Formats: sequence, C-alpha cells, structure tokens
Amino acid sequence: MTSKPTMCVAIEPDLIAAATGEATPPAAERVDAHVATCAACRDDFARYRAIDHAIGALRSTPTPAGDAEAARQRLIARLADLKSRIVSYRVVPTPLGPILMARSEQGIALLEYLGRDGVSGSRLLQMADVEAHEGGAELESFERELLDYLGGRRTRLDWPLDLRTARSDFQRAVMEATVAVPYGAVSSYTGIAAHLGKPAAVRAVAQALRHNPLPIVVPCHRIVGSGGDLVGYAGPRVDLKEHLLTMEGVPTTPARMPRITRRSLYHYETNPGREYCLPTCGDIARRPIDMLFATREHAEAQGLVPCTFCHPELHPLPA
Amino acid sequence: MAETVFDAVVATHHGEIFRYLRRLSWRASEADDLSQETFLRAYRAWGRLTPDANVRAWLFTIASNVYKNHVRSERRRHAAHATVRATRPELDLDGPEEEAMAGEMRSLTQAAIRRLPLKQRLAFTLRKLHELDYEAIGQSLECSPESARAHVFQALRKIRTTLNGHAMPLTESTR
Repeated sequence: MTSKPTMCVAIEPDLIAAATGEATPPAAERVDAHVATCAACRDDFARYRAIDHAIGALRSTPTPAGDAEAARQRLIARLADLKSRIVSYRVVPTPLGPILMARSEQGIALLEYLGRDGVSGSRLLQMADVEAHEGGAELESFERELLDYLGGRRTRLDWPLDLRTARSDFQRAVMEATVAVPYGAVSSYTGIAAHLGKPAAVRAVAQALRHNPLPIVVPCHRIVGSGGDLVGYAGPRVDLKEHLLTMEGVPTTPARMPRITRRSLYHYETNPGREYCLPTCGDIARRPIDMLFATREHAEAQGLVPCTFCHPELHPLPA
Repeated sequence: MAETVFDAVVATHHGEIFRYLRRLSWRASEADDLSQETFLRAYRAWGRLTPDANVRAWLFTIASNVYKNHVRSERRRHAAHATVRATRPELDLDGPEEEAMAGEMRSLTQAAIRRLPLKQRLAFTLRKLHELDYEAIGQSLECSPESARAHVFQALRKIRTTLNGHAMPLTESTR
C-alpha cells in the first residue's frame, strides 16, 4: 500500500472544505490548482462533492408533516399542564428580612417572610402539584417594585395575582376585599366581613388573613381589630404590621398590643353621601372601625367628601 | 408575559427541532418524546435566558443534551438487560454499482451518518443539515468552534470511507 504524497495529505482539509462549500477563496484556489495536476485528489474531490449533493438532498427532504404536527400538539398539551403547575421564585433581601417571592403563569402567587430555615421552611415546598424553580429575569421587575414599596418610593403594587393559593373561595373573597383597602387607609375584620355581606363572619375573616399567602400586596397589615388593635401578623410579627402602617403614615400607639391611634385619623363609615369625618364627629371614634385614613388626600382619593357637620376641611388634623 | 413569548418560540422552532431529533432518532415516537422533553426543559429555563441570547442555538443545545442523555440511558438499559442490541440497518457495501445512484446514494449517506460517533454525528447534523455556524455548534456541544469544525471534518472523512467502493453519481464541478 502506498502512502499519500505529503502535499495531498496537507491539502485534504481544504479539499473537503472546498467540495462541501466551506472553503475560503484562497483555499479554494489552492485546491483548484492541486486537483488540476493530481488525479487521486480529483477523484476524492468528486466523491466529496457527491456526498455534499446527497447531504443537500437529505437537508431538503421534508419530515412527514403529520409526525411534526402531532408532536407539536402533544407538546402544547404538556406545556399547558406544566404552565399551570410551575412557579419560579426568588428570595428578596428586604428591610423586613428575606422575603420569598413566587410567580406562576397567572401572576404573583406567594410572598412569604422567611424564617430561620430559609427556603427549605417555605410553604412553597409543601404545596401540592407545584413545580418550583429558582427564577431570574421574570421576577426582577417585581423585586425592584417591592423594594421601592418597602423603601417608601412607591405606594402601589399593581401586580397580576394568582389567587389559586387561597385555601377557599371565602379566603379568596376576603383577599379581594383586602386589596381594595388603599395605601394610607385602615379597615377592620368587622369592616371586611360587613363589606362581604357576612357581618357575623368576623373570626373567619381574621382566620383567612392569618393565612394570607400574599402579605404586603394583599395588604392584610391594613386590617386591624374593630377597636384598633394590631392583632396578629405573619404569626407573631406585629412589629412588621406596625412598621408597614407607620410607613404609610398611619400612627400607632405602642403597647404590649400596639394599636392604631384613632384620634389622629380621619374616619369613614358607609353613608349615602360618602362623607368622611374627624374622629371627634359624634361617637364615630368609639364605634367599630369601618375605614380610617391617614390624610384627607387619602380619603378624597377614594371619592369621599368632607362631612358637612364636622368639616374636616376646615379643621384638619395636625400633620 | 413570558408565556406568550414562549408560545411564539414553540411556533417558530418546534418544526426544526423536531426534524433535528427525527434525524438523530430511529423512530418518530422517539423524536416526539425527545422534542417534548427539549421544550419542557426550555420552558423551565426560559426565565434564566438572557434577553440577547440566540434562542435557536440555545434550543439546539438543549436538544443535543437531551439526545445525548437519551443515548446514554439507552446504552445503560441495553447493558443492564444484556439484551440483543437493536439490529441497525447494515450498509450493503457490496451492492451493484448502479444501485448506488441518486436516491440510493442519499440513503447510503444517511446510513453512514447514523454510524458516526455521537459527537461527530451531532456536529455534522447541526452543520450540514441545519446549517448552524461553528460558534453555535461549539456552544451546543460544549466545545470550541475549532473542535466543532474538526468534528464535522472527521465526520465527512468517515462518511467518505464508509462509502468507499460505491459508485457515486457524477456531479458538475463546483466552481
């Protein structure tokens, strides 16, 4: 067996490249010059060209359309199932401690103050039928907005919410009613129960908010006892509730069980004229809380008007 | 929403990724499973993809990895059960020359591609059948563009050797 001449060995990569359309012009010229004088390489070149033609034919051979379409339909069905189960999450370091934020296809599904066990103690991992992945870019804007909110640079979190994490339709209804309580306002469990048309369900409302999967964005910190006590928040973290309310301009009175300072807040009790009052208007400050506002602006932003009896616009509370 | 964008990704790329896996697989059902696996993995990782990423090359990377894992697990399965290996179509290298024309040449080439070592087969398929550039192939196969080029070159040499002795249809000169 004779070995290939050195020149033929050296030019082989260029020859293959030229025959399969990948050579640079100088390489192609070198190959041209060589095959003009070397019969063996000319034959090689023709064989590689034939292979290249066969590859071209393979490239343009269509896959049976039915196979691809059937596969695509099956994929779409499996993707729909995955999308309904998958949530991405990230842990956001905040002034209130680490908060786990999780998002599903429908929206933000969970905000959770993490305890000592971190993510491993999160309720996310205990949720059935959920596939949790540590997320990235898709949560960045939410993280930024949350930090802006907790830093006092933003007063609204207009996020799409996934309320499927609610335990019942009733809890979902309580959460929706709570979302309607605006920044700088406070309502009570009694007020929410009345709003839902179930005035006797005060304890059930409190229970539903005790398990609120979306604190901050579903602002259960704005819901207090009917006398103004900051009862319960994220377990024993009444301090967080106090912090969030103070940030919104709602004053609180320190005590073993802190309470909001009603005499420093404008009062509203459902009435046909949608009038809001000073705390000194009649016995309003002694009745169960319907809705309170930190400032007149907060009240009037909700479409309320000053009471024609106590005239809060003429005798505003000290700022 | 990211999901709508991902639906568009499926609409744009599923056909090609399915064809890629169909070319690598022995059965349509295998390509079906592997393409589903590819896109479900892609969906899970979608949030971590940087906005300027080349989505097509990224999907080929996932598909290549899915296929490599599949080949590995198939090998393990065969070894564990000590079953007779699936009989693969053998090349009829002694066939009469006239049969090795046009269509025959195509199926012989296809069979020769199937016999390539895995990495060469992936690099070759990505380059020659899906026309990815070497940069993207290197990314897909976790090697340098130069190594990707070398795999394709070696693949062509092997195909040439496998087809040695077969008459090839004459083609017009390239230049």
